[in-house]
Amino acid sequence: MKGLARLLKKELKEQFRTNRLFIVGGVFTVFALLVPLSLYFMPEILQLSGETAQIELPPPTSLGAFNDYAGFIAQFGILIAVMIAMGAIANERKNGTALVTLSKPIKYGAFISAKFLALSTTVLVSMAIAAASCYGYTVWLIGEAAIMPYIWLNLLAAVFLMFCMAMTMVFSSVFKSSLAAGGMAMGVIIGLGILSSLPVIGNYLPSKMLGWGINLLNGTGENYWWALGVTVVGIFFCLYFSQRILKTKEI
Amino acid sequence: MTAIKTQDLTKYYGKVKALHELNLEIPKNVVFGFLGPNGAGKSTTIKLLTAFARPTSGTAFVAGEPVASDNLALRAKIGFIPDVPAFYDWMTGMEFLNFVGDLHGLTTREARHRSEEMLDLAELKQAGNRRIGGYSRGMRQRLGIAQALMNHPEVIFMDEPTSALDPIGRREVLGLISRLKQDATIFMSTHILSDVERVCDMVGIINKGMLTAVSSVSELQNKYARSVFEMEFLEDSDGLIEAMSRVDWLSKPEFVPDHGHPIVRVAANDVGLAKKELPHLIYQSGLTLTRYEMVMPNLEDIFVNVINGRDAK
Repeated sequence: MKGLARLLKKELKEQFRTNRLFIVGGVFTVFALLVPLSLYFMPEILQLSGETAQIELPPPTSLGAFNDYAGFIAQFGILIAVMIAMGAIANERKNGTALVTLSKPIKYGAFISAKFLALSTTVLVSMAIAAASCYGYTVWLIGEAAIMPYIWLNLLAAVFLMFCMAMTMVFSSVFKSSLAAGGMAMGVIIGLGILSSLPVIGNYLPSKMLGWGINLLNGTGENYWWALGVTVVGIFFCLYFSQRILKTKEI
Repeated sequence: MTAIKTQDLTKYYGKVKALHELNLEIPKNVVFGFLGPNGAGKSTTIKLLTAFARPTSGTAFVAGEPVASDNLALRAKIGFIPDVPAFYDWMTGMEFLNFVGDLHGLTTREARHRSEEMLDLAELKQAGNRRIGGYSRGMRQRLGIAQALMNHPEVIFMDEPTSALDPIGRREVLGLISRLKQDATIFMSTHILSDVERVCDMVGIINKGMLTAVSSVSELQNKYARSVFEMEFLEDSDGLIEAMSRVDWLSKPEFVPDHGHPIVRVAANDVGLAKKELPHLIYQSGLTLTRYEMVMPNLEDIFVNVINGRDAK
């Protein structure tokens, strides 16, 4: 794809120079660290809050910490992924930089793909740091934990977040307003989440990725390989449609 | 050789006609001024010719390439400067030009060399290592021109290149445009008529999506201009005005207020006859003539005439 490597170089540089990588990485890591810390210090926190009622708290477990971490990814992880992708194309169209860049001999597909790969790098690096921090603190404060299910949870969550970003980029190609793009993407993600609770069809939807990861963590439930396939294919479809839409738009 | 050619190029936005059957041929190495009032279709034409918008019908060729969004050979041969060039503000001017060179397939060394040349040309050499976010409007405009020249383009499109600049910035940019025409064809949309008179070889006038005139500036003056005669007399010239009103080779004789004696101005319907007969008419009036001048109308007069739909003589 002509221009992909060149555009990717610029996009990756932009992640550093605009501090996006550090901000996203920082937010992910802080939230991930809060999971084992809040579990471990919960009795002290309750005491400091002046709670007088006698609450019997179960002892914190590594599994509980990882389940809370999965919950964080399912909420804040998705929100962060949508927020960093919603302006990727819309803002470039709005402020006119797309006009200058796309007047050069590069494919629209390269323009979209470079942005997706750079944003994915930011999220994956951030997740890796956050996951390692969460695991390290959990083992240190709470106790030993199986690492493989935790790695699988993170990998499946990463694929799902990449899908969320690719889908947000479709709306970012459609709208010049990044807020409109983000709003539409969140609507679709919530819709997919609701649909994934339906029998049969729900097992094939990308939203099942996180559920599968939690199943692996807890050693329960079934595998959703079809959902993984649909998610990966969905990412490619979203990127394809994103560039098709952009081509039809007046830049 | 033709640099830009369009055949019945048409663009509708819903039911709104933005451009109607544009047929245009622009030869190589000229500066073409594309004139028109706001909303006439100038920017739409540039977007169509640079493949940033799709025509409803018709075709266009630029530098021998069919205009289409996926024609990378076309993009390799053109340079484009939007009306408000936008950049990645976190980059320095030098970095941005290197990035553009990179996109054009230049090696790192070639891109750096060319970037230095362009910074020099755009008089931004000293600001080359400063972040673009801190550039003034004029500096951004000049950087916009520099980035458009990185690939030695055959055709350069400029959308209102001087509209937002102060007089010094305008003069610099116009000087740059004059120098560029040795190597490239320049298609420049504008509504600043003095810019067109100063740098353009050819001019097209568009109004309500229709091309109403296209030719060289001097041809346009000959074609659309009705020559105007101006005279000054020591005495009251009411009688002469009356005499002028009676002949069909003159039209609209009028007094133009001035600090001294009022100036008599009259347009010629038949310039040849007016040149021959008007002195006789003045002689017969017995007035003392202090000034007699044939005035060629400027581009502004022509522009207003064309836009108002007045016919060529």
